[in-house]
Amino acid sequence: MKQIQPRRKNSLGLIGWVWGGNYKIERYLYTLHRATGLGLLLFCLIHLSVTTFFRLQQSSWETAMAILHNPWFKLGEYLVVLAFAYHSLNGLRLIIQELGFGMGKPTPPVYPYRDSLRKNRRWSMALVGTAAIIALVFLYDFMSGG
Amino acid sequence: MKNTYLWLAQLVAGILVAVTLSIHMVWMHLDTILGALGIDIKEPTSWTSMLARSREIIWATLYIALLTFGLYHALYGLRNVIFELAKSPIARRVVTWTILTLGILALAWGTYVPIVLLRS
Repeated sequence: MKQIQPRRKNSLGLIGWVWGGNYKIERYLYTLHRATGLGLLLFCLIHLSVTTFFRLQQSSWETAMAILHNPWFKLGEYLVVLAFAYHSLNGLRLIIQELGFGMGKPTPPVYPYRDSLRKNRRWSMALVGTAAIIALVFLYDFMSGG
Repeated sequence: MKNTYLWLAQLVAGILVAVTLSIHMVWMHLDTILGALGIDIKEPTSWTSMLARSREIIWATLYIALLTFGLYHALYGLRNVIFELAKSPIARRVVTWTILTLGILALAWGTYVPIVLLRS
């Protein structure tokens, strides 16, 4: 069967990660979701190495922890917490919407067209609000030496 | 059909990672707030605290579960990202086997250490 070919290749590659075209905030939330996901994977592999190789001897564990208590590493840890809070909440939003919940009732396509994500932005707003609250709670604990 | 189940497993693994990693994050980083709530965690990263946790089966189980779900979710996600850029079937097969090998090695090592410490 003959297939209709698109006029332009529908793949922007890495450029598509940065430039979302006519898509709005949800597109950039998705880009950030990817960036935080890749960052968390990198951290996960480093964290796994540190907490297993140095865990077998007390002296090596204490040396590693002394290095990790450096303020720059603490800042890095805080960024990991932020990335996790964002990635998990946005992931939850994506799952809810992929399964068709919280999308609202279908409406006739009247110009200017609005997709269901943009009509029902409350999930995106709830995500940003909750992530901000979690960020503040962890910031308080980090600032007080946690 | 296989990809549908793999994607479903990705979503389920994501939720399980969020739950297990939240417990880990709160326990390791919110010690000041937990202390104010009456839950006393004495320096969670110290050698004695780490060793005490390692000898409890609940923590070993949590770490192994977190590692299993986390590795699946992260490496399957990485594979999807690379697949968007690598279109040839050979490249995709190489990526799949590389990621699978890396995941199995990390899971084996990350499971071995908590089990050894549990018995120590």
